[in-house]
Amino acid sequence: MASEAAAQTPAQGRVKETNENQCNMCMPIGGVVAFKGIENAMVLIHGSQGCSTYMRLFNVEHFNEPVDIASSSLNEKQTIHGGEANLKKAMDNVIRVYQPKVLGILTTCLAETMGEDIDRIVASYIEEKKISGIDIVPVPTPSYSGTHAEGYWAAVRGIVAYYARPAQSHRRINVIVPNISPADLREIKRILGLMGLEYTLLPDISMTLDRPWGGKYQKIPPGGTPTAAIAEMTGAPVTIQFGSTCPDSLSPGKYLEDEYHVPLVNLPLPIGLGNMDLFMKTLHKISGNPVPDELVTERGWLMDAMADAHKYDADGVPAVYGEPELVYALTSTLAENGAMPAVIATGSKNSLLAERLIPLTEGADEPPVLIEEADFASIEDAAIRAGVNIAIGHSGGKMLSERHDIPLLRIGYPIHDRMGGQRILSAGYRGTLAFLDTFTNTLLNHKYATYRQKIKREFCTPEGM
Amino acid sequence: MDGIESTLEELYTQYPETVKKNRKKHLIVKSVAEESCPQIEANTRTIPGIISQRGCAYAGCKGVVVGPIKDMLTITHGPVGCGYYSWGARRNKARADATTPKDKIYGQMCFTTDMQEPDIVFGGEKKLAKMIDEVVAAFHPRAINICATCPIGLIGDDLNAVAKAAQERHGIQVLAYNCEGYKGVSQSAGHHIANNNIMQNIVGTGTGKKPGRHVINILGEYNIGGDGWEQERILNDCGYTVNCVLTGDSSYLDIKNLHLADLNLVMCHRSINYIAEMMNTKYGIPWLKINFIGVEATNQSLRQMAKCFNDPELEKRTEEVIARETARIEPVLEQYRKICRGRKAFAFVGGSRSHHYQHLLKDLGMEVVVAGYEFAHRDDYEGRQVIPTIKSDADSKNIPELHLKPDEKLYKENHEYLNMTKEQFEALKKEVPLDYYEGMYPDMKTGDIMIDDCNHYELEELVNKLKPDIVFTGVRDKYIAEKMGVPAKQMHSYDYAGPYAGYDGAINFARDVAHALSTPAWKLIVPPWERKEEPEEKSQDGVTNA
Repeated sequence: MASEAAAQTPAQGRVKETNENQCNMCMPIGGVVAFKGIENAMVLIHGSQGCSTYMRLFNVEHFNEPVDIASSSLNEKQTIHGGEANLKKAMDNVIRVYQPKVLGILTTCLAETMGEDIDRIVASYIEEKKISGIDIVPVPTPSYSGTHAEGYWAAVRGIVAYYARPAQSHRRINVIVPNISPADLREIKRILGLMGLEYTLLPDISMTLDRPWGGKYQKIPPGGTPTAAIAEMTGAPVTIQFGSTCPDSLSPGKYLEDEYHVPLVNLPLPIGLGNMDLFMKTLHKISGNPVPDELVTERGWLMDAMADAHKYDADGVPAVYGEPELVYALTSTLAENGAMPAVIATGSKNSLLAERLIPLTEGADEPPVLIEEADFASIEDAAIRAGVNIAIGHSGGKMLSERHDIPLLRIGYPIHDRMGGQRILSAGYRGTLAFLDTFTNTLLNHKYATYRQKIKREFCTPEGM
Repeated sequence: MDGIESTLEELYTQYPETVKKNRKKHLIVKSVAEESCPQIEANTRTIPGIISQRGCAYAGCKGVVVGPIKDMLTITHGPVGCGYYSWGARRNKARADATTPKDKIYGQMCFTTDMQEPDIVFGGEKKLAKMIDEVVAAFHPRAINICATCPIGLIGDDLNAVAKAAQERHGIQVLAYNCEGYKGVSQSAGHHIANNNIMQNIVGTGTGKKPGRHVINILGEYNIGGDGWEQERILNDCGYTVNCVLTGDSSYLDIKNLHLADLNLVMCHRSINYIAEMMNTKYGIPWLKINFIGVEATNQSLRQMAKCFNDPELEKRTEEVIARETARIEPVLEQYRKICRGRKAFAFVGGSRSHHYQHLLKDLGMEVVVAGYEFAHRDDYEGRQVIPTIKSDADSKNIPELHLKPDEKLYKENHEYLNMTKEQFEALKKEVPLDYYEGMYPDMKTGDIMIDDCNHYELEELVNKLKPDIVFTGVRDKYIAEKMGVPAKQMHSYDYAGPYAGYDGAINFARDVAHALSTPAWKLIVPPWERKEEPEEKSQDGVTNA
């Protein structure tokens, strides 16, 4: 099930057939988030309408925003005769009511099992209806081929491949991001601005999935990466992709490198001092600009906090779970604060994570347990055996606290049982500091809530009580 | 009226002609001239590309009906998503009791075969069979449900064969539900599939009748936020024995004994009327549509129930409970009425709630001006008398209709269950609408709108044009209304609140609605520098009033 000593042996998946309390969702929901970060985009899922309804539910609860997702509403008849007519009708109606400039088409396990050829259907639709002024971007996301993390990367790569064409060289660097919070995106944009860089951020949900109150309600929220900028990503001097665990076959940055020779720098997410330093060093190298005082000061505050909190943080025995990229960044952040995770888990089957973790975890007193294709039954089991005292990840792990009194620090996607999933900031020096304080204080909260009982158990005899 | 008609005409202008024609049939404005409800189109296919609120057959079967059965371990057979998305999303509460210990309750957990590509190509039967063996070894459940997701029907996994073999291997009941998401036109298909299987394979297999003078079931109550528990409290107080609440906080053991009751109460007509009807046919147990959402509605339901049993003592006790509870909550409700009175609401939920909640809102002095269901059938709007006239189509024909016969041993006449003569029963039927549901229409007022399968676009337009004070809907369109400055309440899981049923529920609901209506945020939308000049006026909390 899980490999002791991640540093020595590659991780394994679950050995059971049972996935008990899932740690991940399916591919299309990740694809939806990617398309929501494109300017003027609407997304349509080719499948039964329940998929779209379920995915709206989880996205809406995470972002606390309207998240419109259309469906081709396949019924029994189409499973026999094919879903082409439904998909075309759906495109008609979405275009009519939403008037998008971009229409992403994602598939489901149903459409894929039926063998629907969405490329062909879209091509024939465009020809029949003489569609112009709308880009229809089909991306296969068969739910049985990966998790929402892979679905996200598949869609971003699909979007890049759709728009990429030879472009004149320009100064704007490419910044490609995994599924992180709008708050994190805004922080990354601020940092890029402070470094005096022009950039194309792909995708950009910073406004579309966290829109401020005000103005007339628009069906498609303003914001997102403009498609013209995506088309010109081929002429960028470099791609920075926070995709250190992203497999090449799904990697948008790798696509730009292979097809258009844009050099790819794959970095970990800028969460944690080390990861953030790496990002700053890269930006410094690319721009030739010095790191501005503002960021140096923020780094100083973070350093200060790390020193201040080390005595508490070192007591942390964390379990970290979620999408591979986030799990890697959090592991690295915790390790540099003396709280090496005891359990590291992801729902993805992703050997790159195991490989990337080696330098972080080798030499640890207690080698962490790494679980791939994890479910919460396996995470729980490993966490209890390892004496975990704090869990870090999305809402799916709430049972760890409800059943085992392990406090859960919510971060990642989806957060559907607390407010403000879209506003959780953990990127940059500032974000790392926010994360670190929350981490430390979660440990302290738990300590102060339980220490009297603990002391009583340890030191007081029944007579002396 | 003209105003509304032209408003509605505008609503449709953005649709292509065929869509416009289709959607118009799903909407009715109540007119004073029409006493009976005009025909509304419902339970027909959703137009592709319209952002409907509807879910799928799997959601109806697993998510709504069988998922809440607390001691049955439910396996989602399919890729990983569907299991995750239906995991705890409905807040069906369950608790341990005398017959079901804590370790036999699986409602907080989610089990899936998490099918991978090879399973789709080579079939998932073996994986499913092995998974059943694993969960039996780990949990020793009393019984197992297997719910199919979309690809299962296509790849041809024979769930019934796997279930049958597992049943023989383990000596516990294993039920397979062919509730692939594409079946039918909404979650309604899944309700029907679940009803059929429960009725055919579980109900009637037990022999343990609960003691009590008047033993009843509450069908179609899912105990969201504890609704069912509040109903049980009241009914116990009146002197009833609640045999089973189907399926909120129900146990497999209770459902086996479902037929050992004297009267079936039907809460959610849409999702459970099949079992109510089939039990009437097979066992002769009459059913009564009740509504415990709303104070007056609860009182009326209790009075109608009391009449059914021909027991003066029961009627007396019922009146005592009504008097005591009403006196207890009235002063509290009156406080909230000060905020709620005269406010206009929209209600778009489910297949029964948009009707139920109209009663509670009326108690608070509010009126529902637009109401609609996501997945209801014509009878939920127009009343059950239209059922014989509903045309079956390709989608409804795919869900088998069970034709049960009276049970040779257990069938009794309706009146025998209610401890009265046939003549008394006939007289009772004139007074109490047994085996009948009148639908939403009679409770709507002239000029009110009924809309079936309302979508995001229509919701937005209606909010814009009719400017309600509050919208009761699902979380999926809650934030659309809120972005437009109209508070919205999540009526599927109650925004993590509840219970809303019965007397205590009425107070909870009134408080939550009052909160939504009076949140200071709504008054602070315009920043001070954009407000029209007016005499500086400070409110007590120091906030300058807009």
